[in-house]
Amino acid sequence: MSEPHVAAVGTSPFGHTDLTGRDLFGAAVVEAFEGLPDPADVVEAVYVGNQSESYERQIMYGTLLAEWAGLRHVPAERVEGCAAAGAMALRHAVEDVRSGRRDAVLACGVEKMTAGGTAGATTALSAAFDRALEGRSGVTAPSQYALLAKRYLHDTEATERDLARIAVKNHANAVANPRAQFRREVDVETVLDSAYVAPPLKLFDCAPITDGAAAVLVTSEDVAATLPGDAVRVAGVGAGTNNIAVAERNLAVVEGAREVTTRAYEAAGVSPADVDVAEVHDAFTVSEALLAEAAGLAPRGRGYESALPPDERAEGWTATRLSTSGGLKARGHPIGATGLAQAVEVYEQLTGTATPDRQVDGATTGLLINEGGVADAVTVAHVLIHD
Amino acid sequence: MTDDTSPPTAPRTAADVTADSPFTLPGFFAALADGDLLAAVCRDCGAHLIPPRPACYACGGRTLRAESQPLTGDVITYTEVRTPPPALEARAPYTVAIVELDSGARLTGRLTVPHADAAIGMRVRLTTRPPDDDELAMALDNERDWPIHEFDPIAADD
Repeated sequence: MSEPHVAAVGTSPFGHTDLTGRDLFGAAVVEAFEGLPDPADVVEAVYVGNQSESYERQIMYGTLLAEWAGLRHVPAERVEGCAAAGAMALRHAVEDVRSGRRDAVLACGVEKMTAGGTAGATTALSAAFDRALEGRSGVTAPSQYALLAKRYLHDTEATERDLARIAVKNHANAVANPRAQFRREVDVETVLDSAYVAPPLKLFDCAPITDGAAAVLVTSEDVAATLPGDAVRVAGVGAGTNNIAVAERNLAVVEGAREVTTRAYEAAGVSPADVDVAEVHDAFTVSEALLAEAAGLAPRGRGYESALPPDERAEGWTATRLSTSGGLKARGHPIGATGLAQAVEVYEQLTGTATPDRQVDGATTGLLINEGGVADAVTVAHVLIHD
Repeated sequence: MTDDTSPPTAPRTAADVTADSPFTLPGFFAALADGDLLAAVCRDCGAHLIPPRPACYACGGRTLRAESQPLTGDVITYTEVRTPPPALEARAPYTVAIVELDSGARLTGRLTVPHADAAIGMRVRLTTRPPDDDELAMALDNERDWPIHEFDPIAADD
């Protein structure tokens, strides 16, 4: 048994680019290995988070990216869990190291979502639903989350304006993040005036379509000690599924995410109050509200207060800073890369290497929650600690 | 293919997994095309699962029976699809909902009223019809005979 560490991180730019998936990966790896030995001298296996071959008509991303990193004859594979694929890749790397089987594993994620335009992305993402009754009914990703949001607004005191504030906060956070797709502020009226995509969700409640890649090197403590730069301990992991069809779930609580996050806390020996920074899966604004509650960072039914100053929130909120990267909403949401982009943000926060405008002083414990399918059809959570 | 005295049970051998069984999608949709909406009912915890499946997600039990469901229920949440899948472009905007049937089983489907006329708590009835051309355009070869299910509002005096 060896405590796994995040020893190096890198990303491509996030946004709409002419670069292909492999090129984006190349950018992420170049950054991650800056000042390090070549990947071939360190990396023993590769896991690639990648949602769908329908964007680029390319599978075999394990083989392709291993080759692009100069890794010969290593085990390399793509893992699939829609938008949770990135954290799945990270988890496989972490478990390989924790078990003692390997000393250094590269977890990476890549998606080139713009290749097929909006229609292509709609079709690709719709493959994540239960096809029999959901997909064939013509639901889409925004409308699936809208079903949750409608019920959330019905069951709580939350308003569309409260959800809009979450988008405003995450755009404001992204201004200070050089990696973010949208480094610009928006105001509440802009969000509220944007077109409905699926009521109550509007265009500005939705994460964008993004091209991007991220790479995270996970190593044993001993290997991390030989590498330049700081390392962060992966103290706890949780992973688990919920129903694939939204209809059969508890619509008020993302139970799967709650269970998985609780497991990650228990493995790490921390409680919600210990979490300084959290990257949660705000694919839609309502997701940040639901996940703040599921992770125990907000009291039940009050997650919508995520964007309010601490003194205006209900009793029971932790002091955790949410989505300092700008979240999926404004950093961008390159599906298979998102879970690793979350890890990059928390690594930078915990090592004090985030840009000054977004650095959370003294952050030592971070939480990652990455979801796939609609909401918590699958959830992977990691707790990272900088000792 | 339901029989009141002996409802089909979840497959316990590979030979039981046939396209006639309501525990497979072809069997489920064949029954639905005849107006028979089947759920798997868990003998251990009572959960109702649509479509039927070989194990209960609520408790893990594998003793399930296919039972005909009431076609009436309540809208528990709804929205409007304004950015549809490409094949349904001409049909948008359309309303979709999650409905809880009077048996407690839940499923997603289209609601045949404009979004502005929908409401949480609205009483609805499930109906089926053959797929239209645009729905056939997005169907796989093995899905072409499967019906489209929709929810119609039930007038207060029905």
